[in-house]
Amino acid sequence: MQTVERPRAPAGSETLWRLAWRRLRKHKLAMVSLGVLTILILVAIFAPYLAPHDPVAQPRGAGLRAMYFQPPSQTHWLGTDDLGRDVFSRLLYGSRVSLLVGFLAAFSSVLVGTIMGAVAGFYSGRPLRFYVGPFARQDVDWRLPFVLWRVLSWVLIYAALFLVVQVAWTLAERPVRAGLAGEWSPNAIASAIGLGVAVAFAAFAAWRALFSRVRLDLDIVISRLIDFMLTLPGLPILLVLSAILRDPRSGVGQWMYGTFGTASSVVIIVMILVIFGWITTARLVRAAFLSLREQEFTMAAQALGTSNTKIMFRHLVPNAMAPIIVEGTLQVGIAILVEAGLSFLGFGIQPPVSTWGNMLTNAQTYIFFAPWLAFPPGLMIVITVLSINFLGDGLRDALDPRRKQ
Amino acid sequence: MFNYIVRRLGQMLPLLFMASVAIFTLVSLQPGDPLDELRMANPMMTPEQFESLRRAHGLDQPIHVRYFKWLGRAVNGDLGRSRTYGVPAAEFIFQQRLPRTLVLTITSLTIALLIAIPVGIFTAVRQYSAGDYTITFFSFVGLSTPNFFLGIILLYLFVIFIPETFGVRALPPGGIPDLMWSDVQLGRVTAGEYVRQWATHLILPVFTLATGSMAAWTRFMRASMLEVLNQDYVRTARSKGVSERKVLYKHALRNGLIPIITLVGLSMPALFNGALLTETVFSYPGMGRAIFDSLVGKDYNVAMAALVFIAILVVFFNLMADILYAVVDPRIRYD
Repeated sequence: MQTVERPRAPAGSETLWRLAWRRLRKHKLAMVSLGVLTILILVAIFAPYLAPHDPVAQPRGAGLRAMYFQPPSQTHWLGTDDLGRDVFSRLLYGSRVSLLVGFLAAFSSVLVGTIMGAVAGFYSGRPLRFYVGPFARQDVDWRLPFVLWRVLSWVLIYAALFLVVQVAWTLAERPVRAGLAGEWSPNAIASAIGLGVAVAFAAFAAWRALFSRVRLDLDIVISRLIDFMLTLPGLPILLVLSAILRDPRSGVGQWMYGTFGTASSVVIIVMILVIFGWITTARLVRAAFLSLREQEFTMAAQALGTSNTKIMFRHLVPNAMAPIIVEGTLQVGIAILVEAGLSFLGFGIQPPVSTWGNMLTNAQTYIFFAPWLAFPPGLMIVITVLSINFLGDGLRDALDPRRKQ
Repeated sequence: MFNYIVRRLGQMLPLLFMASVAIFTLVSLQPGDPLDELRMANPMMTPEQFESLRRAHGLDQPIHVRYFKWLGRAVNGDLGRSRTYGVPAAEFIFQQRLPRTLVLTITSLTIALLIAIPVGIFTAVRQYSAGDYTITFFSFVGLSTPNFFLGIILLYLFVIFIPETFGVRALPPGGIPDLMWSDVQLGRVTAGEYVRQWATHLILPVFTLATGSMAAWTRFMRASMLEVLNQDYVRTARSKGVSERKVLYKHALRNGLIPIITLVGLSMPALFNGALLTETVFSYPGMGRAIFDSLVGKDYNVAMAALVFIAILVVFFNLMADILYAVVDPRIRYD
């Protein structure tokens, strides 16, 4: 057996990561930000030991009136809120949820974005076999997933065609019945023509679907999907999604509660943030892949018979890692801001669990008589996101190979 | 170019169709029935009466049928009535709410551009100076501040802190003046007073909404100018002895401004999202607030009208940005 010696980097050269770290250390603001973030994360982890009060405990007993909206004092460092809970403790506990949501959402967005971008970039201009009709002439791939997909795609396409006919019939039913009864009004004629066109289209498509083969360029699909996502009004859609997923009366809501328990509200908000969060990463990775896949090392890997999946994720993704990391950092900040906005409107994490965002709900009214309620959570958001943005900026400079030091 | 525009318009229709399908589905899937409140208000209602009400509102039909019925009416210009306000949804959104939000967004956009462009040029020309560092720092702060929090700070500063400390006359804490243009026409107030009242009500929301875009565009303008200033033609112009002023404003700025067009075109959705939050902070009854209330109050006709209108606006602005891009920059051709 022959041992193959792995090629080593020549002495004196540095890996990208060590080089980047050395450059990052010179970036003062980024290093300060890294320090601030570390402290914030430590505070979040050790919140139960640091918090002087229970963040959800409400006062009981006599003299309740004096317990609400207390200004900052020795016992309550940042005062108490509208239910008499300690603001400082809520702030500390809030950092756990806010940071967790930020990091989880950014990580998931970047993960989804990388996969989507990788698939789009790698298969751009190389359409994949997408649909093969039941009687189409084609050498069939008998591996199980492909067979399952074939059957599923038949079901889907015929269900869709059935839906077209059903909708057309429901819309045209009344006028057409009236027409058949003898009153051919213009409306009835138009409905009958519309119904005829819809049925003819469905019949034609159903016939074609028996024999046709469709190849689909995944890049076009994903790029169109991104265009489509960008048309949707973001914030209102997020509000609606949050309401739908949280609804305890619906199947989805019950499933969420059953599966994730108390964590379901974090899971829901992360899912919602990923829905629009993956787009920037996907565009970035797609662009990187379009140039990376043409390079010699990709061809070498292909010539050696490496599978496409392995080329994409073992060979190409590591080469696109620098921009992905920068994007991931910035996404943490964006996720924290969006979560704060949603929670501010009452559609994010639900009380009694505190986050910086939901501590600001109704702050615009409290500010007139209890201003101490508004500033601490907001300042925490600003400090956190600011640190993340500075760190991202520093990383961008440090990881840029074109930058000379 | 003409072919390009036609092709893009052709792509817009399916895109908008899909967007309206998605919006309708999501809005209808919301928890709770639009009739729940009615049932709650009238506990004596029998199940049969409730069913007949549902049939009357078309809620007994499946979603896709309801969608196509809505589409059929919407294409004919009938957007239904607002359930909460009892007026046609189109009148409520386009006549009452939209103008207010447009005043807010367009003023913010203009102010953001008027500040971001010169400041961006300044930071690019004086790269790595103290001024550049300061402005860059503050634009980072602007990018990192949630705009509703900025609104709350401004509210505190100008409505509570400054009036209490200095005894100056306060800005209003939000809302809009209860004046109408008809009041001016009837001679109850002067036009100057009308404008002044609107200005005092708008100043804080506009500033709140403008800050985010201002910060982002300053950084973008700086990067764009820096790239242009490193181009060969700028060096050529300088070596020919063209004055620095002329190099900057004639050679560099004209090219550096081009990417801003795309940026402004693409910032429409962000501006409307920001408007929703800003309007909430300042209880400004605009379109963002109308969308929020209609979603919470299950006023589906209003929600659909407003959301689909925003989708149309976004698509339209993207197209305009692409076309303007080609008009301004002759190097870009769409074939």
